[in-house]
Amino acid sequence: MPRMRTSDSDPAPGSLDAARGGLGELPFHILLALGDGPSHGYAIGQRVEEESGGRLDPTTGALYQALRRLTEEGLVTPVAGPDHVDPRRKYFAITRLGRRAVAQEAQRLAALVRAARQRGLYPGRA
Amino acid sequence: MRVHRWLLRLSPEALRQEYGAAMEDAIANRLAAARAAGRWRATKVWWRESAGLLIVAITERGGRAARIRHARERLLRPPKAGMMDTLAQELRHAARRLTRTPIFTAAAATTLALAIAANAAIFTLVYRVVLNPLPYADSGRLIFLDYGIPGRNVPSGVPTMTWQLYHQLADNTRLLDSIAAYTGGSGTLTGSGTPERLVIARGTPSLLSVLRVTPALGRWFTEQEGVLGTPAVAVLTHGFWVRRFGADPAVVGRTIVIDGVPTDVVGVMPVSFAFPRPQIDLWQPAQSTRASASFLFSIQGIARLRDDATVTSARAEITNLIEDLARRAPNQTGIVSTALPLHEFFVGRIAEALWILLAAVGLLLLVACANIANLFLVRSESRHREVAVRRALGAGTQRLARYFLAESVLLGVVGGIVGLALAWGGVRLLVAFGPVNLPRLNEVRIDAVVVLFTAGLSLLAALAFGAIPLLRLAPITATLHDSGRGQTATRGQHRARQILMTAQVALALVLLVASGLTVRSVQRLRNLDLGFDPASTLSFGVALPPRVYETRERAAATHRAILDRLNALPGVVSASASSTLPVSGTNYGNGLVVENELDNPQQLQRQFAWFRAVAGGYLETASIRLIRGRTLTQSDVDRREPVVVIDEALAAMYFPGQDPIGKRVRSAARVDPKLPAPPWLEVVGLVANTPTGALTAPPLPQMFMPMSIAGGPEIPSEALIGPNITTMSYVVRSTTNPEDLTAAARAAVEDVDANLAIAQVRTLQEIVDRAGDQMLFTMVLLGIAAGVALLLGAIGIYGVVSYIAAQRTGEIGVRLALGAEPSGVAAMILRQSVSVTMIGVGLGLAAALAGGRVIEALLYNVSPRDPLVIGVVTLLLTGIAVVACWLPARRAARLSPLEALRTD
Repeated sequence: MPRMRTSDSDPAPGSLDAARGGLGELPFHILLALGDGPSHGYAIGQRVEEESGGRLDPTTGALYQALRRLTEEGLVTPVAGPDHVDPRRKYFAITRLGRRAVAQEAQRLAALVRAARQRGLYPGRA
Repeated sequence: MRVHRWLLRLSPEALRQEYGAAMEDAIANRLAAARAAGRWRATKVWWRESAGLLIVAITERGGRAARIRHARERLLRPPKAGMMDTLAQELRHAARRLTRTPIFTAAAATTLALAIAANAAIFTLVYRVVLNPLPYADSGRLIFLDYGIPGRNVPSGVPTMTWQLYHQLADNTRLLDSIAAYTGGSGTLTGSGTPERLVIARGTPSLLSVLRVTPALGRWFTEQEGVLGTPAVAVLTHGFWVRRFGADPAVVGRTIVIDGVPTDVVGVMPVSFAFPRPQIDLWQPAQSTRASASFLFSIQGIARLRDDATVTSARAEITNLIEDLARRAPNQTGIVSTALPLHEFFVGRIAEALWILLAAVGLLLLVACANIANLFLVRSESRHREVAVRRALGAGTQRLARYFLAESVLLGVVGGIVGLALAWGGVRLLVAFGPVNLPRLNEVRIDAVVVLFTAGLSLLAALAFGAIPLLRLAPITATLHDSGRGQTATRGQHRARQILMTAQVALALVLLVASGLTVRSVQRLRNLDLGFDPASTLSFGVALPPRVYETRERAAATHRAILDRLNALPGVVSASASSTLPVSGTNYGNGLVVENELDNPQQLQRQFAWFRAVAGGYLETASIRLIRGRTLTQSDVDRREPVVVIDEALAAMYFPGQDPIGKRVRSAARVDPKLPAPPWLEVVGLVANTPTGALTAPPLPQMFMPMSIAGGPEIPSEALIGPNITTMSYVVRSTTNPEDLTAAARAAVEDVDANLAIAQVRTLQEIVDRAGDQMLFTMVLLGIAAGVALLLGAIGIYGVVSYIAAQRTGEIGVRLALGAEPSGVAAMILRQSVSVTMIGVGLGLAAALAGGRVIEALLYNVSPRDPLVIGVVTLLLTGIAVVACWLPARRAARLSPLEALRTD
């Protein structure tokens, strides 16, 4: 495998998958979990599991890998945690760009749902 | 958590610095939450988190560059082409190719899984028993206090010491951080439910601080409790606590009755505590004071070295302190310290056997790899043209290497996982059926290290058998030049195959020789002259509580009463008892003085004699062979006759070249001048040697005396006249199956005293079998390894010869068409294959002869170059190899020329 030298400013498309035109499922859930305010890794993981109805249960490794990528892409940013908590615990908050990405993704999903309903493939109002 | 922290370390530095601590924190939280939800959930989360971290490490390291490159490629090329390069894709394709050839895949995966399972299981034993430190903090500094008496021809291996020496060491040592003593014993639990014989160990209050262990519940003994005359206390072992008290924590503080003495339970040990062996039911304090300390060799000692001390310096210091003590206590003269690391004391010689077994299964894995490599060769050659086309289209060597390695790695992963599962079952079987005397068996289980070992081994094996077809990649480009009719394989292809075949034969031969030698050893062991007849005899122990049976007379009368009832049982030929049965240890020994030989300077250089106090008719009941004179009868016991029967080892040592009958001996070393000298005893009989421990060890001198003149509860042990007869082992010889007598025997004992329990019920044959267990264990495991190697080898040879014959079908057709005899053609193929096999046999023989010394330690009375074993094994292997060559050769020769020529 040829090794390539890359600098940190290299774009690293991952969460915002331009080619497929969507936000990955786990990143989407993470951004959703941060919608109510800054939170830390363990709590985000729990929230993701709850909101996905248990379908997504990322391991700590997977979760931080995604958080790191979201941070690199500017969708999430590390923030200082409350004073009384363990300083090792990292807190993350959603950025403006992140909110836009969530909105876009939600729109895309809504459009898909609409299209499915129009063809009677999904129950509910047309 | 430790594993996770370690896995985290595999991730790239940048990720770790930024998020490492936070991830650790999150994992700790998840694990804690999972533990609250139960063990199953906790295990699941543990594994998931480990896998997650591993994936992160792999994808972040290998994947980051790949990810960025992908992004670029996606911009430059249509999306589909960009996906083609990933490793995952390669693996998916390999999986598809493998599932398309299910027989090949199943054969390769099964072979590999079996070999991996054998390696993982034996590695588990080696790792947990030999390599893993003892389960005590800083256990490398723990030593066992072993002694030697060089003047008496005992260089080392005396495991006992005296209380006087214990105090001498505890008071004066500068190199030992702390020292503790312990001793074994037994007692009967009465009060609640049926009386139960307990295995009791006694330890000094310092024992747990030396080992650095704390009780799971309650406390250990205080310094005061280590002094005679304090109220009785006990600490339960975890197993006994669960078995007898249902793991009730309220048992701490309760009073139980042991040998009629109310005893306070003050603590419970943790489940992991199995010192010095797992069978112990409870601990009581070993009590001694400096003033009362005895000069009897009755306790075993361990110590913890100071940081600046070594085993060698500690030995020197202890030996000096013994010399110092010997000025006050002459019976300590000539003793030297041969202290050794505690781990070495426990594990001892079994380490050698386990390493040899590991080497054996390692060879088995090589045979398996050779087999699979062969299968891969066949497969890769059938793809020559495909590969050549790929190469012509511009696939680089790396790309082609990945193409082949993906398959072998996948197989390796499957083989590793299945092998690990099999090993898990295998280890449970080993623990359940392994020899009881295998040390640390209770600690044997599959853990993270074993899993890592298995994973590494599987990958290594995969690379090994995956690399062989790769070596053949270089000339592949030439294949496109070939015409479509590839009638014969190239010389190089055949050579690779033949080398593998030779290696398989050689390895199988080495394993077969090793296995054959152990079979011979076990055979020799079975035919060993034991000096007694263990068939049809039941044995069990009875301990009379010294509180109730206060005198020797009372104890002897009670044993007599029990024996009378046993002798009256239907089917019983005879019943008797001894303080120590054959193959059951040495127990009670002392030097002997021969009458009229007090001036003989050799007196002091003789080994101890081991004393056995017996009931009337014991020598007959155990069928210990009488050589001269007479045995000990009931009337000897009744009339307290001062007579003894000695064995040949004792006669050879004390009466070399003389007739011992009529000579008089007495116990030596009167340590307490206030006590009368032990009485003179007349030798009336000479019997055959019987083993005391390992069946293969040289016999130790033994002396049998009537129990009525031996030691008893009211006789101070310093009198040194013989073993205390409150605890005796019974032997019942019957005409029926001895085990059927158990209930009747128990009833007979209870009939005499309902508070007595019988213990360690087993047949003498079981005792003998157990002593030979370790050798049988290695024999069975080596036998299995050799058998599988033989089978794989035979399959390998058959496969190679079939393949070569098939490759040469065209050539054979031409030969047959030109008038060659079918038998001639078969002979030609056979000749070529057999000569390859014989090279393997030759190499294997050379290796077996050269490496014989390695296995010598496992053998008994068999030379590692035993001609019978080597001859039989060589014939067997050659025979099987010839058959494996002949079958495909015959098939090839039976083809009609037309058929043969049409195959292309």
